[in-house]
Amino acid sequence: MVSRRGFLKSGGLALLGVGLLGGIPGFLAEAAASEKILSPYKKKKTLVCIFQRGAMDGLMAVTPFTDDYLKAARPNLFMSAARSGAGNPLIDLDGRFGLHPAMKAFEPMFREKRLGIVHGIGSPNNTRSHFDAQDYMESGTPFNKGTSSGWLNRAVGLLGHDALTPFTAVSMTSAMPRSFYGDNPSVAISNLQDFAIQMRGNPTGANMAAKSFEDLYDQTASGLLKQTGKESFEAMKMLQKTDIKNYAPANGAVYPNSALGNSLKQIAQLIKMDVGLEVAFAESNGWDTHFNQGTENGIFARNVADLSNSMMALWTDLGTYQDDVTVMTMTEFGRTVHQNGTGGTDHGRASCNFILGNDVNGGLVYGDVKPLAIENLEDGRDLAVTTDFRSVFSAVADKHLEINNDHILFPDWKGDRVNVMRG
Amino acid sequence: MKKAVKYWCGFVLLLCVFTVLSAFLPGYPANPDLKFPYKKAGLTPEQAAAHLLSRFTYGATPGEVEEVVKIGPEKWFAAQLNVQMRDDSLNQLLDKYDALRLSNAEVVAQYPKGGQVLRMAVKDGVVNKDSVKTDRKAYRDQLQNYMQQNGLKPEQELLRQFINQKILRAAYSNNQLQEVMTSFWFNHFNVSVVKNDCSQFIPAYERDVIRPNALGKFNDLLLATAKSPAMLYYLDNFSSSGNNDNMQQGNQPPRRRLVLQMQNADTSRVANMPKLKAKKAQGLNENYAREVMELHTLGVDGGYTQQDVTQAARVLTGWSVYPMGAYGNAGQKLMNRLGDDKLQSRGFVHEGDFLFNPNRHDNGEKTVLGHRFAAGGGYDEGVQLLTMLAHQQATAKFISKKLAIRFVSDNPPQSLIDKMARTFINKDGDIKQVLITMVDAPEFWSAAAVREKTKSPFELAIGSVRALHAGVNQPYQLFNWINKMGEKIYYYQAPTGFPDKGQYWINTGALLNRMNFGLALASGRIPGVKVDLAALNNHHEPESAQAALTTYSKLILPGRPLDETIKRLTPMLNDPKLMEKVDEASAKTPAATMAPANDGMMEQQAGLKGKRKNNFIAMQATTGNNSMLAQVVGVIIGSPEYQRR
Repeated sequence: MVSRRGFLKSGGLALLGVGLLGGIPGFLAEAAASEKILSPYKKKKTLVCIFQRGAMDGLMAVTPFTDDYLKAARPNLFMSAARSGAGNPLIDLDGRFGLHPAMKAFEPMFREKRLGIVHGIGSPNNTRSHFDAQDYMESGTPFNKGTSSGWLNRAVGLLGHDALTPFTAVSMTSAMPRSFYGDNPSVAISNLQDFAIQMRGNPTGANMAAKSFEDLYDQTASGLLKQTGKESFEAMKMLQKTDIKNYAPANGAVYPNSALGNSLKQIAQLIKMDVGLEVAFAESNGWDTHFNQGTENGIFARNVADLSNSMMALWTDLGTYQDDVTVMTMTEFGRTVHQNGTGGTDHGRASCNFILGNDVNGGLVYGDVKPLAIENLEDGRDLAVTTDFRSVFSAVADKHLEINNDHILFPDWKGDRVNVMRG
Repeated sequence: MKKAVKYWCGFVLLLCVFTVLSAFLPGYPANPDLKFPYKKAGLTPEQAAAHLLSRFTYGATPGEVEEVVKIGPEKWFAAQLNVQMRDDSLNQLLDKYDALRLSNAEVVAQYPKGGQVLRMAVKDGVVNKDSVKTDRKAYRDQLQNYMQQNGLKPEQELLRQFINQKILRAAYSNNQLQEVMTSFWFNHFNVSVVKNDCSQFIPAYERDVIRPNALGKFNDLLLATAKSPAMLYYLDNFSSSGNNDNMQQGNQPPRRRLVLQMQNADTSRVANMPKLKAKKAQGLNENYAREVMELHTLGVDGGYTQQDVTQAARVLTGWSVYPMGAYGNAGQKLMNRLGDDKLQSRGFVHEGDFLFNPNRHDNGEKTVLGHRFAAGGGYDEGVQLLTMLAHQQATAKFISKKLAIRFVSDNPPQSLIDKMARTFINKDGDIKQVLITMVDAPEFWSAAAVREKTKSPFELAIGSVRALHAGVNQPYQLFNWINKMGEKIYYYQAPTGFPDKGQYWINTGALLNRMNFGLALASGRIPGVKVDLAALNNHHEPESAQAALTTYSKLILPGRPLDETIKRLTPMLNDPKLMEKVDEASAKTPAATMAPANDGMMEQQAGLKGKRKNNFIAMQATTGNNSMLAQVVGVIIGSPEYQRR
């Protein structure tokens, strides 16, 4: 990769030399020199992944509301699609599945066939440990702990070109998520404003320091530090061109004032800045609803409202960029069919996920959800996993990012894809 | 004659007393049998000392290079290997971390996890289960009261003490090599706070399993990790059981049935109903068996097969955790009722927190790496397996290479690895001897090794604290910075541990944060971390900005060629508009928390000397502190030169 970089760099310099691209950052000049992309300003496709940590109750998010077994198993949690009295019923999607009313923001997208849902999705490894299940889902190897890389990092390696900008893969988290572990360049940052040399209350000092640092890194003998230093300052300058702090979302989009809303807002900023973002990652917490998960209101309702409203704010905000973006949610497993003794649900097996985008073959609930009679349940208690998460992830990666090397993306997997995407 | 005998006896006695005393006296050994070949590599004694310190400490403190030159690098190294330095002042600092002296059982009893507390409170009727999480504040208050009344503390507090302690040890321990090796082995045998099941046991894991064995025999270390609750939970071996025909409950003699109840109860943890139900049905779990070969001993290319993994997993079935925790634990009651003697007679092995449970063990015959384990091997066959793994050629090479990567360079020469691996085999995996072989080799001192390593964020932060003699009152503030720079210690999720290579640590976001860290630390803007830059130079005010740069570069980067760094930074200091800029800045900047400069004195001197100095001192006079000096030091810490070691 180093030698390739060197080659690209000399090409970029040559372009700068003839004055074609004077004044634009070096990494874009490098991009211009690459044969694999047409122009440095060509819009890139972006895949945004949202990990719902804690295991979302898929049966409450998208309820098979005609299933009497479920109704019997969840006397206090079951919701109906029939309008009765004051409360809001489930949103009837197809006569069989109902969307939680707090996710009403999703309904138009589903009707317009831009939102797809896969039900009965999960991992072939039946662990019910959050840690293990997240680890397996993020490494993409459900039976191997020792896989050092995450699937999204491998995806970056399969994009077909070097990471051309510092923003190719960005996780809006304070620490690098397991999905991003690996050798391909990726950045974890919880706040884009941190992408600067900072001295609180002393911008002059910060500017001076930045100038000193830039100079020092430019002259250092260490190739790694020199190259990364250069990219860091270019990235910093890219972000300085826009007023990140006072960002105003477009098209009247309103992001929830939540961690997820904030993450997706910053991802939208990066996408709209055309800085080359291709793989983005954000997290949503609080799905481990052992206690009083509620129905129409309560913890679960708040969580799904935040999820759907955050995603829809991103979608609205993107405007003309919508064609380039697919958003996919994931969660480590689902929850028990039966409610527990504390108004919640315990760790189960399959859940559901959402895929949003103009490339999505939406308006359908994919997957195989059998009647929840005990003989159909996994280990006699849980919604069975009928769709391996990799068969959905690989389809999305292929159709949206043109990544089709499943041997590398999901090394141990030999299944068929679920065609949730058009084309 | 009598007198002579008396004197003689007296002398012998004195000699004995002296010998005994000196054995206990910390300090440097008289004659280490070593002579490091740094001269041949072209290093001066200062450069050699700086290199040695960069490899086996978290960074040289001011004056430490000179000290090592004086003592002799060989003596210094021998003392470090033997962990002979006194750590009185560190121990005083650590005294307040009371949670870190608890046993695992005490930790479980006193620092329960959030979910456990909730279940206990619900069970005791203190918290109404219908109110849980519906009215956040009310139920939080109820929980807090409940915890106080029962002497319970949040697990986060335990982890906080643990992390604070690690930072203080790394920054202030005089036995630096032991601390560096502790980090090395922890990362090698990684466990993670992210895994809820094992987080409580991590403080004791580092304290009892890793640190005492960090400079011992590899085999002992491997066995200790295999039997520790942290590892047993982290890689799930606690839940792994065999599928013996005689394990079905039912047609068993009554005495056996008692023990079988235990096998089905979750023997080890406070009842956690949802998990327990799910785990009961599990049989063989290969996670630990795979990683012990791939990551702990042989390495991924170590010549084992999937068949070996499965067979090794069968050998290690029944290796579990002794039940602990006070609440609703059937396993523990049963254990107490039986007593250790009875347990032993039934084939159980109880050592500390470890429990071998024969009823969960696969009694059949197994073959691992061509070695046959006859049926009925019980606990001993697991020990034999691990001992065998610890002594493989592949293990010797794998461990030697990892050590060489940690201490020499990201790409260590094969010749060096081979030498170390030979020692590993010949000296029965004696880690000290392997390190000696490494430092005794010319490859260690070669130009290709000197300053080749990139500091990890932890090394950068701790190294800066050491280089500036900073006083750390709130270690957790440093942890937050280290996390921001990309190394959330104890939270690395995968069993591989953090990758030990420059490319991993250096990326755009992380690099900017390193620079910001330098600026924040030097200007005293990290709460609870005090820096006195003037004291560092014995309160001699540098005569000019240029002088400050030269003086502090030498202090912070001892034994390095600094011409380039100084040359690059000089224009910044000589900027004719500097005064203006700093004036402007200082008007907006609240005073940094640093020793106030003696303004009057400086103004006097300012009148006497040249223009540059005039600038510098005027700057200080106008700002009322050493903000320019802080900026210079901050830039040095954030400089590319300082990122390397």
